[in-house]
Amino acid sequence: MSLTLRIFLIISCVISVVYTLKKIRKAQMNIDDSLYWIVMSVMLLVLSVFPQIAEQAAKLFGFIGVVNFVFFFIIFAVIVKLFQIAIDLSITKHRLNSLVQKIALYNKELKDCTVPESERERETVGRAEEK
Amino acid sequence: MIKMKVLIIIPAYNESENIERLVDNLIENYPQYDYVIVNDCSSDGTEEIIRRRGYNYISLPVNLGIGGGVQCGYLYAVQHDYDVAIQIDGDGQHDPAYIEELIRPIIEGKTDIAIGSRFIKKEGFQTSFMRRFGIGIIKFVIKMCCGVTITDTTSGFRASNKAATKYFSMHYANDYPEPEAIVEASLNGFKILEVPVVMKERRGGISSINAKRSVYYMIKVSLALIVCRIGTRKRKRSERI
Repeated sequence: MSLTLRIFLIISCVISVVYTLKKIRKAQMNIDDSLYWIVMSVMLLVLSVFPQIAEQAAKLFGFIGVVNFVFFFIIFAVIVKLFQIAIDLSITKHRLNSLVQKIALYNKELKDCTVPESERERETVGRAEEK
Repeated sequence: MIKMKVLIIIPAYNESENIERLVDNLIENYPQYDYVIVNDCSSDGTEEIIRRRGYNYISLPVNLGIGGGVQCGYLYAVQHDYDVAIQIDGDGQHDPAYIEELIRPIIEGKTDIAIGSRFIKKEGFQTSFMRRFGIGIIKFVIKMCCGVTITDTTSGFRASNKAATKYFSMHYANDYPEPEAIVEASLNGFKILEVPVVMKERRGGISSINAKRSVYYMIKVSLALIVCRIGTRKRKRSERI
C-alpha cells in the first residue's frame, strides 16, 4: 500500500468519525445507525496505520496486490450496508402505507360525525328564508 | 337466507371523467350494495366531484398506488363488518350488472375469492394483443407457482368473503397487486374461482398500463410472482391466517 493512499485513508477516516459525531450531537442520526460508520472508520484506520494486517490478509486470500484487499474490504462492507438499508426502506414503506391508511380511515370517521358542508349551507339558507 | 352485507370498493386515481357515471349507476340501480370510493390522492379534481356529490368516500392523504388504496378499502370493510367485499375499477370498465353473478359462488360458500374474467366467454372488450399476450404469460407463471388456472390475471373485478377480506386487509401486495394477490391468497389456502363477465373499454382518462410498457410489466410481474412463490410457505386451508 502506498504512503499516499495510507495518508488519504487516515484523513478520510478521521473526517468521517468527526462528521458522524457531529451528526449525533445535532440529533440528526441515531446512535444505533452511527455505530456502523464509526466501526468502519476505525477498521480502515487500523488497516492504514498497520499495513501488515492487510498484507497478511491479502496473502491469505490470494490477492495479488495489498491494495486490492483494502478495496475488497470496503466494497464488501458497502454492499452489506446497502442491503441493510434496502430492508429498512421496505419496512419504512410498509409502515408508512398502513399509517396513511389509518389516517384516511380516521378522517373518514371524523367526517361522518360532523355535518357535511352542503347540509350546513342548506340549513343557513332555510333559516334566512324563515326570517 | 340471512342478508349479506356487501361492500363495493372503488379505487379511484384521477377518474374525474368516469366516477360520477359509475357511482350514480350504483346508487340508482344497485341500492342493495354499499359502496366506498378510495380516492388515492387524485390531482384532477376527483375529490372535488365526490365531495360535492356527497358520495361515500375515503381520501388518502398521500398517494399509495392501487395496492395501498384497495387495501384501505378492505380495511374499511373489516372495520364495518362486511360479509363480502367487491373490488371494481373506477374507470367504468366493469359493469355492476355482473356483481350478482360474481358474488353468487361466495354466498353459496363455493369459494373464498371470485374473479371476473373477460376471457371465459370471450365477449366484449378483449384489450390489446400485447396486453393479452402478457396476461397469458402471467397466467402460465401463476399456474406454475400455485397450480390454479386464472385466465384474466390482471382483472381488477373481484369479490372476496369475510376471511379473504380480512387477509387482504392485512397483506395486500403493493407493486403488482392483482396477480400477486392471486398467488398470495392461493398459497395461503384461499380458494379462487373465476366468473365470466363482459368488460367495456374505458371511456375517459388513460389506463395505467400502455402497450409499450406491457412487455416490461409482464417480465417484472413474472419475476415478482416467482420470488413471491419462493418466499411464501404454502399453507393448507385449515392452517391459514
